[in-house]
Amino acid sequence: MKNKTVIGLRLEYFLRALVAIIVGFVSLILPFTSKEAGRKSMVSTALSLLSADNTAGVTFFLYLALIFTIVSLALGVISYFKVGIKIVKAWMFVQIFATFFWTTLLFALKLILEEAGIEDNFLLKSAGIGFWIGLLSAYISLVFIMKLAEVNTGYIILTILGVMWMFPVFWILLTSLRAEQGYYVGYFFPKHLTLKNFYDLFHNPTVPFGRWWLNTLIVAVCGCILNTLIVLGTAFVLSRTRFTGRKQFMNILMIIGMFPGFMSMIALYNILKGLGLNQSIGALIVVGAAGAAMGYHITKGYFDTIPKAIDEAAIIDGASRLQIFTRITIPLSKSIIVYQVLGTFLGAWSDYIFPRLLFGDRQSSYTVAVGLFWMTDFRRIDAYYTQFAAGAVVIAVPIVILFIWLQRFYVEGLSGSVKG
Amino acid sequence: MDREYKRRNFITTFTKGDIFSKLSFLFCGLANIRYGQVVKGLLFFLLEVSYFVFLFTTGIDLLHDLATLGGHEQGMAFNEALGIYEMQAGDNSMIILLTGVVAIVVTICFIAVWLFSISSGENARFNHDQGHHVNSFIEDVKSLTNENIRFLLLAIPVVGILIFTFTPLIYMILMAFTSYDNEHQPPGHLFDWVALDNFKTLLLSSEKLSQTFWPVLGWTFIWGICATFSCYFGGMILAMIINSKGIRLKKFWRTIFVVTMGIPAFISLKVVGTMLGEKGIFNVLIQKWGWTASAVPFLTQASYARVSVILVNFWIGVPVTMLMVSGILMNIPTEFYESAKIDGASPFVIFRKITFPYMLFITTPYLIANLIGNFNNFSAIYFINSGGPMTLDYYKGAGKTDLLVTWLYKLTADSNDYNLAATIGILIFIISATFTLITFQRSGSMKNEEGFQ
Repeated sequence: MKNKTVIGLRLEYFLRALVAIIVGFVSLILPFTSKEAGRKSMVSTALSLLSADNTAGVTFFLYLALIFTIVSLALGVISYFKVGIKIVKAWMFVQIFATFFWTTLLFALKLILEEAGIEDNFLLKSAGIGFWIGLLSAYISLVFIMKLAEVNTGYIILTILGVMWMFPVFWILLTSLRAEQGYYVGYFFPKHLTLKNFYDLFHNPTVPFGRWWLNTLIVAVCGCILNTLIVLGTAFVLSRTRFTGRKQFMNILMIIGMFPGFMSMIALYNILKGLGLNQSIGALIVVGAAGAAMGYHITKGYFDTIPKAIDEAAIIDGASRLQIFTRITIPLSKSIIVYQVLGTFLGAWSDYIFPRLLFGDRQSSYTVAVGLFWMTDFRRIDAYYTQFAAGAVVIAVPIVILFIWLQRFYVEGLSGSVKG
Repeated sequence: MDREYKRRNFITTFTKGDIFSKLSFLFCGLANIRYGQVVKGLLFFLLEVSYFVFLFTTGIDLLHDLATLGGHEQGMAFNEALGIYEMQAGDNSMIILLTGVVAIVVTICFIAVWLFSISSGENARFNHDQGHHVNSFIEDVKSLTNENIRFLLLAIPVVGILIFTFTPLIYMILMAFTSYDNEHQPPGHLFDWVALDNFKTLLLSSEKLSQTFWPVLGWTFIWGICATFSCYFGGMILAMIINSKGIRLKKFWRTIFVVTMGIPAFISLKVVGTMLGEKGIFNVLIQKWGWTASAVPFLTQASYARVSVILVNFWIGVPVTMLMVSGILMNIPTEFYESAKIDGASPFVIFRKITFPYMLFITTPYLIANLIGNFNNFSAIYFINSGGPMTLDYYKGAGKTDLLVTWLYKLTADSNDYNLAATIGILIFIISATFTLITFQRSGSMKNEEGFQ
């Protein structure tokens, strides 16, 4: 073994992988169940499960974990005698399955053992040492085999993290399709699937969701146009022109920006009331546009990176500053414009505090954020939870698609803002 | 001779100027008219006249009332004409304060116009005396698209900020020095100036208020630091894994994490908040899986709730850092890595000696901005659990995960203690300003904006 080399394999990990899988195999005969159940090993647990009258549907996880561990050991031993890429790859895939099923036991073991009558009130922490060693060695062997096969072990972390990240997303998707109403349910997968929640959402007289959605869309679209134009204009002036008071102007904006925004909301509300604009979505658009210039930094940072020589050449050619702005700077700034538009658009859908204050109890001008929040009030959450989930899906799906489609610009905008 | 035509500043315009320049301090636009800019000069003068009309008709009263915040409390008063007692409307301190602030802002605007008219008149004089061309009004308007584009493009933002941000802000700042709490609610009651009393009760007294303030401030700092750095390192590690060699389908992996960014924050936070409830799906599942025997008080016990909000924020925040870091990682010169590898550096050493210092250098401003943002991270706290669990140790309404901002919001929205809310707002400003100043001193990119040219 020692002096062999195989292209595509890093044999220095071979021995470690083999030791880990042997430990995993040994764990199969170590105590698996709890003290109350007699510290049976995994193998004997599997045998008694086979003979049990009543078993849970997920019992096969345990069999498969067992079988794949044994197969993996066999492949490991074979490759000790006849090492090659193909066999190591096969070994790796078997070990992936073994690890997967060992992991599922973390979630299913209680059900498996209790259904078969082996355990009562089983808690995972009382599981025998064989279970923990088996689980751990499954992961360790997988890591070593992947290193042996020169496969990036990052996949393991990415898979685990990916599942964790998607978990709430799946939950809300499944809840929106759940036929059983109510907030408190004792299971993850709905018993019956339905699209009724979506139908109800748009046909419920007390919850004018369609109206809310339209309101928000109007605010979002107007905001995109107005805010982006204002931000672009401000950033252009502050980045491409020099005038007395420019620094002071930027400092004042920065100082204003350091006060918490909704500190002034009460006063703002009173001003809007004085102007007769309260409770209307017009006020939301106006206020949003009025404050938009405060967020000029990122765009200005982006404009700063456009070479000044371009402007100078244009001036020599007789272009006015406005022409430079509209004909040169804007066409060169596609990614920052998309970033800005996307940011405003997303913001409109999740802005809550100010609309809440502004609209008060006038449901017909609510935006979706205010409306959905209204639905999750503790008095209503039980009645509306599935519809809330449906509403969340209706809002999130288009935005997520938009976001994924345009994420390149988002990255460029973000990384542009922090350059050196 | 040459000395005479040097540009004059604001003071020398007066001391060295001729009679027109001197009088233009009193009558705006006079110098403009003298040197040929009649329309412009008249406009300045018109603005001045209208300001003084405003001042003498209403402005003076408004400013005078601002000093007292009203003296007549609403109540029963004897009506001599009818011979009965009747309810009489008193002064409304809140309206008085608000209109007073408006009068102040209008005055500030006028002072700006006044200064501008003087410098504009001086410019006209300078051009005239030097024999340069003095712009006519039409030429001035045309210059708005060229050298004076700042007036064109900044007009709307400046007016907007003045009305909808600056005025309310001044109003709230002044409120920190009044007694506008839930016992002094207009129109039924008056409130008055109390100087620094609010700061004293909040910071120094041994009452419940300061017993709430200091723990909340402490938690705000702990939260800010934990939330910022957990997401920073988490996102960095995630980005490095995704970008490392041998990971296929990079885009797919990135998209999985980016999905949480695309979902509007209030939805994802609210959803996770409901999932973490006592009978929420997390508690249901972990009991089903046999991980715990009874429900875990994720959001109902102070220490659990604090860990929970940090973890949920991690879930939300990591993808943002991941996206940003992905962009930067691609910019790190690959020669660094190659030479390090040749020297036999382990991946950990490469991270510690190359990747991390490079990243830290570039992202320090982002990190500080993020820290300030997290001190003020209203949505993460409020949407998950509204700052709960509530506690009797704190001033009414405040909970164990409340940050200063969420407490500020509760003080305005729930208990109407506007003076306290304004005081907290000012304290938050002081904290943010301190951190921003540190950034300014440290970061080259903020100091030197021409660095990229």
